[in-house]
Amino acid sequence: MLRVRGLTVGYGGEPVLEGIDLEVEAGKFAALLGPSGSGKTSVLRCVTGLMRPQSGRVELDVPPTEVGFLFQDDALLPWRTARQNVALGLRIRGAPRRAADEKADHWLALMGLEDFGGRFPRQLSGGQRKRVAIAQVLALEPKLLLMDEPFAALDAIVRTRVTQELLGWVEREHLSVLLVTHDLEEAISASDFVYVLSQGPRARIRARHEVHIARPRNVLESRRHPTFGPLLRRLWDDLSGEPASVDYAL
Amino acid sequence: MKRWLDRVAVRRSLALLALVIVWEALSRLGILNPFYVPAPSAVAKVLGALFADGQIWQHLDATFTAALAGLTAGLALGIALGFAAALTPLLAELLEPVMILLNAIPRVILAPLFVIWLGIELASKIALALVLVAVLVFFAVYSGIKEVDQRLVERVRTLGGGRRVLIREVYVPSVSAWVLGNLKVAVGFAFTGAVVGEFVASSRGLGYLLQFAQSTYNASLTIALIVLIMGFVLILFAAAERLERRLLRWRYA
Repeated sequence: MLRVRGLTVGYGGEPVLEGIDLEVEAGKFAALLGPSGSGKTSVLRCVTGLMRPQSGRVELDVPPTEVGFLFQDDALLPWRTARQNVALGLRIRGAPRRAADEKADHWLALMGLEDFGGRFPRQLSGGQRKRVAIAQVLALEPKLLLMDEPFAALDAIVRTRVTQELLGWVEREHLSVLLVTHDLEEAISASDFVYVLSQGPRARIRARHEVHIARPRNVLESRRHPTFGPLLRRLWDDLSGEPASVDYAL
Repeated sequence: MKRWLDRVAVRRSLALLALVIVWEALSRLGILNPFYVPAPSAVAKVLGALFADGQIWQHLDATFTAALAGLTAGLALGIALGFAAALTPLLAELLEPVMILLNAIPRVILAPLFVIWLGIELASKIALALVLVAVLVFFAVYSGIKEVDQRLVERVRTLGGGRRVLIREVYVPSVSAWVLGNLKVAVGFAFTGAVVGEFVASSRGLGYLLQFAQSTYNASLTIALIVLIMGFVLILFAAAERLERRLLRWRYA
């Protein structure tokens, strides 16, 4: 579905990322894990075309219109209602207003926001805004979903709930996903495999780990799986560059 | 009673009323010299007389026409130049220093020049109001576009939006918020331009009447005109605020 080959990214000086290779197969969920400032977001920006790499290439098996990007911030237009925000992408792609609004209402209902379509973003809670942003992206029925720490700003309970809802949708629709995060537990509980990025500048892919937890998954239950603790330890070692001194067995 | 007093507008009105009562009392007790500070009742009498003989209407007409024409033209010019400069770097290079200079000086000093160029009739007053408003609006639009939230731009781009969609969905609403936020200031500037223009040289308008009142040492007429101008500007402020709250309801919802 997505192949990144030899990607090198910089902002004028020393490259932030160097020679990044990663792949997301169709219907698979990949996580890109790395310390803050390692350039994780730059990988996604190159995939979506928001940024041009110094070298390397991005290969997509689907047209750019079938790639959805869920930002770290909800980035909803404050002057548009929840319904208009969800309908925006559909309208851009040529859907008539009525059809776009109906589809937006359908997606808001799926996100549990059927009564909030007429509200402006500032009238919604952080969790509700995030759901609107998810609805906005999923309404376009992407085949590949890119997510940039989308739940970082949410509190633990809302975060778990929204992650579970999104995970359920991804599993049902067999979407391909690339999730950028610095949260080790989130990476394991959601993904099929985890790429670990080294500390930048000149960050590289340090390791690739497969997650052996069956689907469909429950975000909380996944943490009790026997393979969760050992993998968490390995990821910690990869990120910190030294063996973990804490026992992660849960 | 207490609930009634909780309202800011009521408290402000009561404070204003108390000030007028104290002023009137001090005047009647002979503490204030009526030549310099006439009593509110004397000012009200002059105001009443101004409307009673109907002379005031031609002056109100002149000032309002100049202020509203200057406001409309200034908004249009400021928005057009602001958009053009923000979207065309070459034009920004040419316009920015001129606008910064015009913004730095007290722009009312241009009034005599406009009288020389355009005469003492309406055109010179409109021109002054226009310059005052246009510079303000130019910076509101220019900054509004330059400082538009890039996250929103990227959001729309990743949804497939091109330049036209970006202008319609992000830039215009973002800039509208800036312009409407400055609308009340623009109304004040438009009246400043019209009245100062009339004050410098004219044959009609509230500024002309003010100049006449000053030259005849008529404090009652001067205060009556100041009150009149304040009253009309406050009404326009209220209208501008209503418009802002209606158009930017997403901000006040």
